[in-house]
Amino acid sequence: MSQIELRNIRKTFKVYERPEGKWALLRGAFSRTVRAVTALDGISFTINEGELVGYIGPNGAGKSTTVKVMSGILTPDGGECVISGRVPWKERKPHVARIGVVFGQRSQLWWDVPVSDSFSLLRDVYNVPPGQFQKRHDELVETLDLGGLLKTPARQLSLGQRMRCELAAALLHSPDILFLDEPTIGLDAVSKLALRAFLREENKKSGVTMLLTTHDMDDIEALCSRVMVIGRGRLLYDGGMEGLKERYAAYEGQDIDEVIAAMYEELAL
Amino acid sequence: MRVYFSIFRIKTAESFQYRLAALSGSVTSFVWAVIEVAAFTVFFQYAENAGFAGGLTLAQTVSHVWVRELLLFMQPYGIDGDLIEKLRNGDVGVELCRPLDLYWHWYSRTAAGKIVVFIMRCLTCFLAAFLLPGGYGASLPVSLAGFLLFLPAVLCAFLLCCSFLMLMTAVRTNIQWGDGPMYLLGLMGGVLSGGYLPLQLWPDFMQTFLLFQPFAGICDIPARLYIGSMQSSEAWLGMTVQLFWLVVFIALGRMVMARRLKSVIIQGG
Ligand SMILES: Nc1ncnc2c1ncn2[C@@H]1O[C@H](COP(=O)(O)OP(=O)(O)O)[C@@H](O)[C@H]1O
Ligand SMILES: [Mg+2]
Repeated sequence: MSQIELRNIRKTFKVYERPEGKWALLRGAFSRTVRAVTALDGISFTINEGELVGYIGPNGAGKSTTVKVMSGILTPDGGECVISGRVPWKERKPHVARIGVVFGQRSQLWWDVPVSDSFSLLRDVYNVPPGQFQKRHDELVETLDLGGLLKTPARQLSLGQRMRCELAAALLHSPDILFLDEPTIGLDAVSKLALRAFLREENKKSGVTMLLTTHDMDDIEALCSRVMVIGRGRLLYDGGMEGLKERYAAYEGQDIDEVIAAMYEELAL
Repeated sequence: MRVYFSIFRIKTAESFQYRLAALSGSVTSFVWAVIEVAAFTVFFQYAENAGFAGGLTLAQTVSHVWVRELLLFMQPYGIDGDLIEKLRNGDVGVELCRPLDLYWHWYSRTAAGKIVVFIMRCLTCFLAAFLLPGGYGASLPVSLAGFLLFLPAVLCAFLLCCSFLMLMTAVRTNIQWGDGPMYLLGLMGGVLSGGYLPLQLWPDFMQTFLLFQPFAGICDIPARLYIGSMQSSEAWLGMTVQLFWLVVFIALGRMVMARRLKSVIIQGG
């Protein structure tokens, strides 16, 4: 049975725009023009337990919006979404207790206190039994090589170090599913490789289902057997990496990045 | 329940980095209070000559000034700036990924944010005021009974203040609003809490209203018990007023927050 199921999910944002030109400020106080931006235009897919799926698409395609809907923190306008038998935004608390989320551009660590304090807080937040927590904690500290970082405030960590801590923070409560929204953004080559190795290992060892958005095609090639491509809020491709390459065989011999760029262009994204 | 104490603890630890700012604030408080005491002394001399009798004696008023400095940390303005920032930049999404009640999560943070100001600014200023010559400095509570009632009244005041700030935070979750209305409401609350002038020095016909309005419980009611202008036998009335508004603010705050969260739009990618 599939663990994650989305059917025809839609989300439109209202964007308020201030009028331009003379007296704009004054007029803006009374009237604002509203523009509707369709972020998700009927997205459907299913993901099975233990899968590691890559989710790609150009900027503004709707990747983050999809992740937010699946995390239960954004209510879509229409469509259905069931994850492990729950509708995320309707049963937010039990749902989020079983998932982990990493937003590459945000931090879940407390900025000015040692990383280990953030970790102990998470133990209480997820109500993890102490023995189980300690075991998981030591495991993650070891595999992510966090030993030297635990006493450092998050503010003083380099991006690569922080991202390793973020991963640990998202996995301390042993979630069934992990959503990663651009986790490799801004990382150097060494950190990227370490992160990929860790994700691959973690997926294999503890069977965590992972969905990973990225702009880095190497991430996808290294990690995912399945890739979904989204553009303008629609799912354009869902299948193996080879299939994607085959479909764009005309570009054969070219770098995968160029294949993707060609694809985006062809679809006029 | 335990997790909210953990949040309280970690936020307190974080706030202690501002201890120097709070400590220097205590000098400001001290100087202001001395000026106020001097002004009241002059005012009372003239008023007595003119045969005017207010609701408090000079000694009570001076004592009120210093108790007020002690309770200054719970003024009804100053929402936790971090929370506003989280709402603005979308980090609230990270908080919503926790299996917690966002209201009590943020309530604990709000409460913890006040502790450092209390210890470093208010307590130091108040204790220093005992060094001033008699008639100008702080006085001991008027009776042991008054002091024993003062303590729970301060606790109620603290919870009341936090629940009011949470209501303001909840209203502020409508991210289209600016700070203007909040600021005005805070200022009004400050005046009505007796934070500028003891409420019992206001005209007689306003006294009933002043005692029963929500802000009296934040500063004036505990202060009355300390200086003895509210008899111990009347303390139950004061604390009932406090508890009544506490329940009202919590109920309203939770309602507004739940409503807003349903439609909150998580910003950013
Ligand atoms: N809170 C919001 N308010 C208004 N528009 C938004 C909001 N969040 C996202 N959008 C719009 O929805 C579209 C999809 O955004 P997003 O899911 O963040 O894209 P991606 O993560 O793929 O880059 C974009 O056009 C973006 O401008
Ligand atoms: Mg994004």
